[in-house]
Parts: sequence; structure tokens; C-alpha cells
Amino acid sequence: MRPQATFEREPARRIFASEFRETRYQFKEDDDEKSPNYVIFPTGIRSNRIFIVGTLTEKQRQGDQNIFYRGRVIDPTGTFFIMAGSYRPEAMQQLARIEAPAFVAVVGKPNLFVTQEGNCLVSVNAESITVVDRETRDLWVLDTARETLDRLDALGTTADSRKAQEEYGTQPEIYRKIVYDALSQVQM
Amino acid sequence: MNLSEVTERISRKLESSGAQPDRQKIESRLRRLVEEFGVNVAEAERTVTGDLAREHNLPNLGSSSSDLRPINEIAPGEWVTIEGKIVSLTPSISPSIAQNGIIADSSGAMRFVVWSRANAPAMEYGHWYRIESAVVDEYRGSPNLKIHSGTTISQMEKDVPLLPSITPSAELTPGVGSVRAKVIQDWDVLHERMLQTGLLGDESGTIKFVIWKEEGKEKLELDTVYNIYYATVDEYNGRLSLTLNTAMYIADEGDIEVGRNETEIQGALVHVAPGSGLIKRCPVEGCNRSLSRQNYCPVHEIQSNFRYDLRLKGVLDDGERARNILIQRDLVEKLTGITLDEAISIAESNPIGMDEIFYRVRNAVLGRYYTCSGGEFAGRMLVDSCVPVTFKPEELAALLNRAGGEAA
Repeated sequence: MRPQATFEREPARRIFASEFRETRYQFKEDDDEKSPNYVIFPTGIRSNRIFIVGTLTEKQRQGDQNIFYRGRVIDPTGTFFIMAGSYRPEAMQQLARIEAPAFVAVVGKPNLFVTQEGNCLVSVNAESITVVDRETRDLWVLDTARETLDRLDALGTTADSRKAQEEYGTQPEIYRKIVYDALSQVQM
Repeated sequence: MNLSEVTERISRKLESSGAQPDRQKIESRLRRLVEEFGVNVAEAERTVTGDLAREHNLPNLGSSSSDLRPINEIAPGEWVTIEGKIVSLTPSISPSIAQNGIIADSSGAMRFVVWSRANAPAMEYGHWYRIESAVVDEYRGSPNLKIHSGTTISQMEKDVPLLPSITPSAELTPGVGSVRAKVIQDWDVLHERMLQTGLLGDESGTIKFVIWKEEGKEKLELDTVYNIYYATVDEYNGRLSLTLNTAMYIADEGDIEVGRNETEIQGALVHVAPGSGLIKRCPVEGCNRSLSRQNYCPVHEIQSNFRYDLRLKGVLDDGERARNILIQRDLVEKLTGITLDEAISIAESNPIGMDEIFYRVRNAVLGRYYTCSGGEFAGRMLVDSCVPVTFKPEELAALLNRAGGEAA
């Protein structure tokens, strides 16, 4: 157990939607109820928080007793499914206020859900959602491209990335292509 | 002299080299030498240590303690022989300690302790001594020379002037260090045993210092440059500080352009913490703490003559590390476009009051990219410059090249 003084907040990883959608592997470091739930992304890094910027295209209010909002956030590679429930009232109210379409920045926790048929649904439990501008979206694409390329370069050199290779059989060329295509959609 | 203590020492020494000695065997051998053969304890210790070292195939153990070693090469766990000058003696804090201070040679300096039980001759300030078979352990994260009953101390006929080497404050490590620095802040003393505390700065950065009350100790003058020789460098919660009670300090000519331990980080603002936005501060001079909603100061209780302030406590995250940052009023005004006066009038006329400012500040900055620079203090960056990151086409081009490479 690490002492309080050295507590470090988990960084928010940058990831494109098409990689996020492939995420299947999650684990806990120990059995303690409070220990964080991590996922390992196909390009080989653990994460329990992500930062994404994209276009909110749709939001829906759901549930009667336990109200929550669902939203779709699009980046150049695909779609993130966002959830904001009453256990995080701030994020829920932020989302309730935003009219789609809008550029939004979302900080949240990766969430994996396996259906009875064995399908894995990947979504983001939002901690916060704010309206941003197009420039912020472009900066995020560059940032995420850089982080993804760094991870690809480090593939096989860290325990987490070897685990990713084992779990996903990650093919770096596919992800390089995704990064390239995402960057191509940003206007010079 | 207690033989079980010697036994313990020999066992530990062997264990630190990976052997697993039998304590009973060690003690019976010692007893035999001391009681049956009248060997003195120090000699018995050396003999038994040497014998066991050979038996456990540890050739270095028996002999190494008699080879003369430079002080800066010594690591905790070693038995050593050194020659050094007593450059500082500090009053003993416990009856079990006869003397403590700092011993130095041309390579460096180290704190030492002479146990009362060692019955060692008192060493004098400014003299050179040869110290044989002392043991070095770790005390508060730095090496410390222990002089025990098996240690031989002999005064030397030597008087070589020592010039302590000055270390930039950013490169100090726990132990003993000498700096040339300027007194840049003189803080309020909060402890009755403390003479002075504040901040020293040199070209490489700043470091906290403390002088405890002690006869003959003088305060440092603000804005004056000092040569400080043989201060004790302590580490607490990952931060270093200098204790000047062991040190000799002399005011020096000239001035120093104090380097600020500035770091720069670029990242996304991923969290705006409670306590951001419009806050109330305690009006008592020198307090400035933020008040609760009921105008309560943790020290000065209810203060209704508070003054307002704007600030931002948040987390700037570059994807690798999330860092706490604190941004002061003028920068918050610039980043959000809300001045303090506007914030006050909005808060006073709005049904949710100060919360309205929190939301406005949050909505203006959360999720955006910034480059912040400033100094670290207590795990938080005190930001003195913060600018929004702008899109640079050349970065896009570079990344396209990197991603596309040959495929493009």
C-alpha cells in the first residue's frame, strides 16, 4: 500500500475510437475493492482514464428511476459511446445542457460490458464533458496520433505491451494506417 | 563490553555479504578468546570476523576495513578506515551519544556519531584523525559513520587545508553539502526552538533552510550571499532542506541571479477542482487562507471582512502524467475573460452565487490544451505563465510523415 503523500492521479490516456472499440482485456492489480480497474489497449498501455475530443452527434436520456444520458462522440476514426449517470451528477448535467452537434472534450473511465451472447460493449463513463472548439479537436487528433505512435514504437518493450500483443495480436501497421488516416482529415 | 552486541555486529556484517552465520558459534568463539585467552574485545572481534570471512569465502570482509577509503565513496553497510578532519561538532542530543558532527576529507564529508559506550577519546574541532574499523549505516536517508568500541581513533599530525566543493542546490543529495547561495526569503518562525527559517537560492534553484537555536549561532541576513560549508542536507516528503547548525557560514561579496526551479508542461486540463473560481480569503495580515462558505478561517475563525480572490486548482495531464496546478488571479482573469470585479458582481446578483463563477471558469478551461510553467511546491505547480496551445501545421506534417513513413 502506497502512502497518501505519494498518491498520483492516473493520467488520462489518448486513444482513437477505432482502437478503443477493440479493447477487450481488463484487470485489477489486486483484490482490494478500491484498487483501480484497468484496461489494456491494443497498442499496449494500461488505462483507467481517457481524454477524448470529438463531435457529439447525438444524446439520449434514458431510464425512469435511474436517469442517465447516452451520447455518441465521433472522432476521425469512429464512434465513442459515452454514458453519464446520476452517480456522476455533474457530468450528467453537463451533458444534459449540451445541444448536439457540438465539439466536446470528455474525461472518463473506460467501461467494458460483456453481453449474455458474449459480445463486448466498450463505452466511456464520463467524469466531465465540456464544449470546446474546433482547434481543440485538431490539437487532440495530433496529441492522440503522437501518443499512439509512441506506444507503437514501444510495443514489445514493456510488460503491458507484451500482454497486449498476446491478447490482441496487435499489428502495428494497421494502427499506423489508422493514425495516418486520422491525421489526413485535419485541415492544414 | 557486551559480547552479544559484538556477535550481532559480526553476524550482520556477514549477512550483508550474503552469508548465514550461526550466532551461537560466533559468541562462543568470542567468549573463548576473551575469557579464556584474555584477548581484548576489539582484537577478538577482528579475529572472529576474519576467520568467519574465510570460512564463508568472503575474502573482502576481513581486510577491507583497514584499507583507507575516500569519504565520498563509502556506502552504508561498509566497515571502513578513513582519515579526515573534524569540520563540525554539534551538541549531543542524547546521553548515549558522546559526540556528533561532520568529518571531511578532500573527497567529501559525512556525518558521524560517537557512542558513549565506545569510550573513545574526544575528538577536537579542526583536527585530523585516522579512524579505523568504524561502521557506516544509513540515518535519515544518508550515510552516517558510527564509532563504536571496536573503532580505533588516532589523532594525526596533519593540517591540510580543506576546500569544500560547492554543490549547486539542485544537485544536493541527503547527507552533507556546501553551497554558495543568497537568502531570498525569511519566513516566520513557528517553533520556539527554531532560530530562523527561509529560502536560499543559487543559479540552479532554491532550497529551504533551517537554523535551530544554539549558542553562538547567528541569523542570516536577507538578500545576502553566503558561502555555507558543511550544512546537513535532509529529505522530508521528497523535498530537500538544509540545516545550518552543522555548517560554517560566511557572508560573501557579489550577487546571485537566482534560478527558479521552473518546469514547463503542456497538456489538457482534465479536472477543475472544488475551491476554484471565486473564493474568500482571510483578511488577517499574513494569513490569506481561503474561508469556508460560512466565512470560517481554520485559524482565525469567523471573518466577515474577507476579501475576494480568483483562482484555479486543476489537473494538467499530458497523457503520461497528471499534475496538480494552481493558477492565480491575474492568469485566471486572462484565461477565462472574467475579471475579479465582474466575478464579484455576477456572484452577488446570481441565485447560486459563487458556484456560478466556478461553472463559468470550468466551462471556459476544462478540456482545453495549455502550456504552463512555474515552480513545484508541495506536489503542486504554482503556475506563473499559462498560454493556450495553438495548432501548428508543421506538427501535423511531421506526424503525417511519422505515421505514413514509406506507406505514404
